[in-house]
Amino acid sequence: MSEGIDVEHEKKVAEFYQSLGINQGPGDIQYRIILLVLKKNEGKITEFAEIRAYTDQFADRGSIGSKMKSVFQLEGLAEKVQRGGYVITERGLIAANFLKYTSAFYKKTKSMQAMLDRLP
Amino acid sequence: MLIIISIMVFVYILHGWKIQTRTNTVEKNVNKFIFESFQILTSEMNKMSTGLLLNITICFAIAVISLTFAWVLAKNKNLEKQNSKPTLYALITFWLLVAFTYYPTAFRMIAAYMNNAQVDILMYYIAAMPFAFVSVPMAYIIIYVITGNKQVSSYVSVIFAMFGISYLMLLVTNGVIEPVVTSWSSIISINSNIAINIYLLGLFIIPTAMILGIMLLILLRKISKRMRYHTVLLLVSISLVIDFMLTDMITTFDRMQIVARTFVLIGTVLAYLSYFPPLTLQEKLGIRQHKYEPFDEDEFMDSEDIDYV
Repeated sequence: MSEGIDVEHEKKVAEFYQSLGINQGPGDIQYRIILLVLKKNEGKITEFAEIRAYTDQFADRGSIGSKMKSVFQLEGLAEKVQRGGYVITERGLIAANFLKYTSAFYKKTKSMQAMLDRLP
Repeated sequence: MLIIISIMVFVYILHGWKIQTRTNTVEKNVNKFIFESFQILTSEMNKMSTGLLLNITICFAIAVISLTFAWVLAKNKNLEKQNSKPTLYALITFWLLVAFTYYPTAFRMIAAYMNNAQVDILMYYIAAMPFAFVSVPMAYIIIYVITGNKQVSSYVSVIFAMFGISYLMLLVTNGVIEPVVTSWSSIISINSNIAINIYLLGLFIIPTAMILGIMLLILLRKISKRMRYHTVLLLVSISLVIDFMLTDMITTFDRMQIVARTFVLIGTVLAYLSYFPPLTLQEKLGIRQHKYEPFDEDEFMDSEDIDYV
């Protein structure tokens, strides 16, 4: 099911950004998961059902559908190419790349915090 | 020192010459020379006291500061923090080992001052025991800070402890060269090159590299000024202490030994300052933590500035 996307980890990363007051984008778990699934299927059509396979654990169908329309399609991060089928755009790939940096920043910050915590 | 050696050589040459010539006139002159030489030697011995006394004072100062610092750390509230508990205990052990190295060293200097070579050597052996294990808590701290794994840290520490044990074994089996008491210090050399190599590698190069590595890692990240000050100063002080303890133990120059001990003393003071920086330094570095009262909005509800808040 997870195939490279760790929902629990993404949840933690989103919570970290929310704690910094960033509730949209990197701080939004739905945004993170949808973008990661779209990136995973780069060059292929992503079925809505595949996105839901990940998002059903924490969000209902309606909110994901709404997010697809109000954020991804509206901002041009993904294009709807068929009924329940999306492909990631160039802009979407930039967003996915940015998401990768946010994960790295989270990892760095957490490891540093842990290291400093362990210092006498 | 040079004066003493030159006088002794001179006296020896004259003495040899006295045996060869066996003439009364020369014998008289030689006796006069020997008498004068001993007078110079006595005055040199008086000068010797000052340097050795300074050495004793420095050794005691290092021991007392290290012991006090270890005691203060043991009373530290940070012991309640579960994550830093193991490293704090290791740090306490480190400073205790430094203190237990310098107490016998101070007594060693007293023995040298009193011209007691046996006690001098005995104290050297006693001081070598805690010294051989100084790098063990350091290795534990560094590995635990990086990995957060107690087991791995313990295994690495065991390796360093083995370095220490092998150093001690070589030291005991090969022995040391008789102490050379000078105006500043008492120098004892280890009679084994392997021991010195183990000592350099296990007790000096690796721990210093580890300390510098972790310091670089911390300096490259964005952390608060206060945290950076505390961490960097603590690591620099530990590095200073370890490095100059090594110099102190292997040097064959008396003045270098006293300089090394002075730096160890500076290191212990810096370590103390890393935990308890004086107020003026805090202000200057901008690391002072101000305690602000939380703002109570209700107090200002009736104010005429309410529309602008």
